[in-house]
Amino acid sequence: MAGKGNKASGAAVKEKPRPKTAEAGAPDELNKEQLLEMYTLLFRCRLVDERARLLFRQGKFKGNFYSAVGQEATHVGTLYGCRRSDWVGPSHRDMVAAVVKGVPARDIIAQLYACQASPDRGKTTPAHFGHKDYNIITPSSTIAAQWQLVTGVAFGLKMQSKDDICFAYCGDGATSTGAWHEAVNFAGVHKLGILYVVQNNLWAESVPLRLQSAAKTLADKAVGYGMPGVVVDGNDVLAVYRVAQEAIRRARAGDGPTLIECKTYRWYGHSEIDPAKYRPKEEVEEWKKRDPLARLEKHLGEEKILTDEKKGKIEAAIKKEIDEAVEFVEKSPYPDPGETFQHVYAEE
Amino acid sequence: MGQPVTYIQAINQAMHEEFARDPKLFILGEDIADGGVFRATEGLAHKFGEERVVDSPLAEAAIIGACTGASLVGMNPLAEIQFADFITPAMDQIVQNVAKLRYRSAGAFEPHLTIRICTGGGVGGGLYHSQENAAWFAHEPGLKIVYPSTPYDAKGLLKACLRGKDCYLYFEHKKLYRSIKEELPDEDYTVPVGKAAVRREGTDLSIFTYGYMAQVSLQAAERMAEKGVNCEVVDLRTLLPLDKETILASAKKTNKVAVVHEDKKTMGIGAEVASIIQEEAFDYLDAPVWRVCGPDVPIMPFSPPLEETFMLNPDKVVRELEKLAAY
Repeated sequence: MAGKGNKASGAAVKEKPRPKTAEAGAPDELNKEQLLEMYTLLFRCRLVDERARLLFRQGKFKGNFYSAVGQEATHVGTLYGCRRSDWVGPSHRDMVAAVVKGVPARDIIAQLYACQASPDRGKTTPAHFGHKDYNIITPSSTIAAQWQLVTGVAFGLKMQSKDDICFAYCGDGATSTGAWHEAVNFAGVHKLGILYVVQNNLWAESVPLRLQSAAKTLADKAVGYGMPGVVVDGNDVLAVYRVAQEAIRRARAGDGPTLIECKTYRWYGHSEIDPAKYRPKEEVEEWKKRDPLARLEKHLGEEKILTDEKKGKIEAAIKKEIDEAVEFVEKSPYPDPGETFQHVYAEE
Repeated sequence: MGQPVTYIQAINQAMHEEFARDPKLFILGEDIADGGVFRATEGLAHKFGEERVVDSPLAEAAIIGACTGASLVGMNPLAEIQFADFITPAMDQIVQNVAKLRYRSAGAFEPHLTIRICTGGGVGGGLYHSQENAAWFAHEPGLKIVYPSTPYDAKGLLKACLRGKDCYLYFEHKKLYRSIKEELPDEDYTVPVGKAAVRREGTDLSIFTYGYMAQVSLQAAERMAEKGVNCEVVDLRTLLPLDKETILASAKKTNKVAVVHEDKKTMGIGAEVASIIQEEAFDYLDAPVWRVCGPDVPIMPFSPPLEETFMLNPDKVVRELEKLAAY
């Protein structure tokens, strides 16, 4: 997993977690309130995701769940401060992108339970979260298909001279698909306003990165499409934020897309039914030490921005929101069976 | 009525008129800014600019993905797939996103686009410039499939798609492009999606057909008339959803049914038409539903005698209709 950033991008590459998170430093433009807000989002992602896992294992909802625990800094770092009108093309592991975009826990839990209150009224599976009110596109399970769609959104926005931008997410495995390359190439040609975020967690389900790609870094692929490629420590939310801010500036200004490779790790299996025995224990333990939430927490503690009392309050508020969401959803009815036949065409 | 126009001129006219009418309409495809392989997009880029008539990279999935995404933010996309044979790289987008996004989001996301697809054989196109694969997509609710057989319908159906809110696959047969002419109304018109057309009234048997085979079937019907068999020819025009009402009315009227299509027989559109009739008009039938279709071989071969053997023509259709009439 040796990796170097694309020199042209000028972005810093951090291979290993810095011994003291304080070294990461906060981007100048982030004040204390914003840092706390970012921390709260990271915490919300973690708690919503962990609750989803728990609910699944309690048999509260069917299907499967694809946890993003360990990878949340890639979502928070890229989407923090974005507009509600900006678009997100998520994959199956990006449900927490909705948390960062401000979707209430109630809508997310409702999706898990496939009840009538779900934004998709129970049509699709638990982790494939979309929400029109927040411009989060409901994903297909065919890998990287969402990159095509969200690239099209960016194309449509550009044709109308709008400066809303798009965020596309995928894992390392997706970079092997034709869909991925066709989308990125198209965006390069048309200088679309989009951030392509690859969460390189080293494993595509059970397939290690070495069998996925011979490229030195996944960000290197950007060279072929005429855009900057940046490698960033995906477990350092402030580093991700810094890289994303530059990409966002480029995107809004019409300077084109950026490919961002976030080096990160999923703590759990590909899904809740995957014990992930293919990964060495030491590797998992090593990455857990680089927990993005704990790192920011430590940093904010050292900076005297976060106290134990404050943390307790934040945690309690999030848990309350989730508890209330679960309570609400568990009382919500399933969709009417007749809805099976609805939403096929605009003009029936 | 103006001068008679060809099928491809009708398509071109429809695009010119709709581009002028709808500023959100754009077209994305390969080699289109220069007018296209068959000149379907002639003059469009010159008149409306390359911002709206966009040559895509050679990447069919990107064409469909870009169009579908753009439709979510208020654009009205028209995609061109240069040959139906080349639609396979876009299969994932068409089947998994275009057909399913509305459904999987419970109608929250409303993709809409039209995909013009040059299709069909009999012009020496060989293996990969002859396929007529509309049936692949007819198994995908969420899509609508139209397939005109006349210049009037070519224009009217394309306009209906470009004004519609659904996702349309618009198949256009390359053998029809310049082989027929028709005078078109001066005034604006559309042809409704989902409605078949009775091209020839008849009493003895019904032929259900579409595309180039609609023209072949009309010729066969004239020959049958000389033999004293009065055939009704129904041009399906829309393959998904099928116009069951018109199909059943004709089957019940003539009591004998043939389906005629260029594409392969097995699992084809004709199989579905036959099923609808046996389910809902079984008691009216005096003969089995007769399928007159392309052979079940992987692809249309190139050498002239092989291509001729693959393609249906009026002679072959007449031979089958005679058997049906005599049943």
